[in-house]
Amino acid sequence: MAEKAFNLTREMLDHSFAETVAPDREKLLTCIQCGTCTASCPTAYAMDYTPRQLWRLIQVGLREEVLKSNTYWLCTNCYSCTIRCPRGISLTETMAALKRLAIAQGLEKPSTIQGRVARFYRSFMDSVRRHGRLHESEFLITYFAHTNPLGLAGQGRLGFNLCRKGKISLAPSEVKKRGDIAAIFRKAQELEAGGAP
Amino acid sequence: MKYTYFPGCSLLNTAKEYDVSARAVMRELDSELVEIPDWNCCGATAADVVSYLLSLFLPARNLAMAEGMGQEVVATCSSCFLNLYRVNKHLEQNPELKGQLDIVLAEAGLSYSGNLRVRHLLDVIANDIGVKAVAKRAKRRFAGIKVAPYYGCQVVRPYAEFDGPDLPMSMDRLIAALGAETIPYPVKTRCCGGVLMTTQKSIGVKLVADILEPAREADCVVTVCPLCQLNLEAYQREVAGKLGWPVRLPILYFTQFIGLAFGLPEKDLQLSSHLVSAEKLRIAGSREQVAESR
Repeated sequence: MAEKAFNLTREMLDHSFAETVAPDREKLLTCIQCGTCTASCPTAYAMDYTPRQLWRLIQVGLREEVLKSNTYWLCTNCYSCTIRCPRGISLTETMAALKRLAIAQGLEKPSTIQGRVARFYRSFMDSVRRHGRLHESEFLITYFAHTNPLGLAGQGRLGFNLCRKGKISLAPSEVKKRGDIAAIFRKAQELEAGGAP
Repeated sequence: MKYTYFPGCSLLNTAKEYDVSARAVMRELDSELVEIPDWNCCGATAADVVSYLLSLFLPARNLAMAEGMGQEVVATCSSCFLNLYRVNKHLEQNPELKGQLDIVLAEAGLSYSGNLRVRHLLDVIANDIGVKAVAKRAKRRFAGIKVAPYYGCQVVRPYAEFDGPDLPMSMDRLIAALGAETIPYPVKTRCCGGVLMTTQKSIGVKLVADILEPAREADCVVTVCPLCQLNLEAYQREVAGKLGWPVRLPILYFTQFIGLAFGLPEKDLQLSSHLVSAEKLRIAGSREQVAESR
């Protein structure tokens, strides 16, 4: 997109935003806006802010502008930006932190890309929490039921074909010591309660 | 040689032919994949979005169990490989994490040092066993077969542990050693779209089209990751609509490709489980014995 100008006011700025979302705040502040990240990003063409622009918004502290963008939701964890960044910033991990923060704030709406990606991951982890392993068919049915029941019908052909090939099982494969899994989920939540995302 | 093996969730279902062919090929190479009993999901790209600590604790339980079994653990799925590897890296970088992990694992009666070596099966076959040993076992050569070697992202990024992050070559060398030709394939580590194929299909289809378009002249694509394989194979009708030519490209796991060269039976290859038929590869190429074999 074209460059956008902001009339900055004190209320718009959150000076601790970089600290909140970046695993390495000091490094993020050294971003020189070279744009290697954007040039490397396979989904930048569909983002409302390019990755380069997003880092600048984070530096300045325009928290709401960053969180309402679709940029970080379109990050597929390909790590192309991360390995090429001349400043060595953990860009992909920062994208993940933004997703966590947005979900924690309840920003996602089911009809948007934000809502769908958030629901996708939540359905995935619900299945893992239940069984210790991902039960693929249960997870996808739950996901589509929440986001787009018609989409489930659209996936019907693929589902049928995978079933025909014996690649979808209706019974989950489960971890025997599910107490271990419950403890992992519980401890992660306890340790992170009140902390940074 | 025995390798501790982490199969991961996809290999139970949508990528079961990867699991079967990996075990069979390793057997042929006088090695054995010994599965971690009671392993759990590594968290894929999902755990980190829900909780940072969860994204490390889940794979760490597997590492803790694997540590008692040997010096190394091998993953077949690229995302599993990355998540297991990442635990060690984050333990190195974040001293506070070790204490937290100790507390969590203690509840399960486990502990983890942070020192287990994490490998991808491509690394093990290409570098431990070696291209020469693989070629030596081959019963046929893929003469005249053109292959697009597709690595995807997470097997080489962000941790370029055993090959280059942009233009890796280890799988190219294996394919060439089996007599096939690898096409020039600059998109070999472009993203397959990952979850976007499900959450925002228009973007997913575009990304897969970017990967399949340069493979037009190839007889097949060979890959190392379950999600890449599914994304590249299952949406070819949509991709064809975008590219304007009929796309019917078989997408094989590298272990199936090696297994074909070894002359393994269908029960070890499961080529028939593909959505796009890979049958032509079963008969293609000359059947000449490799001169120096055995």
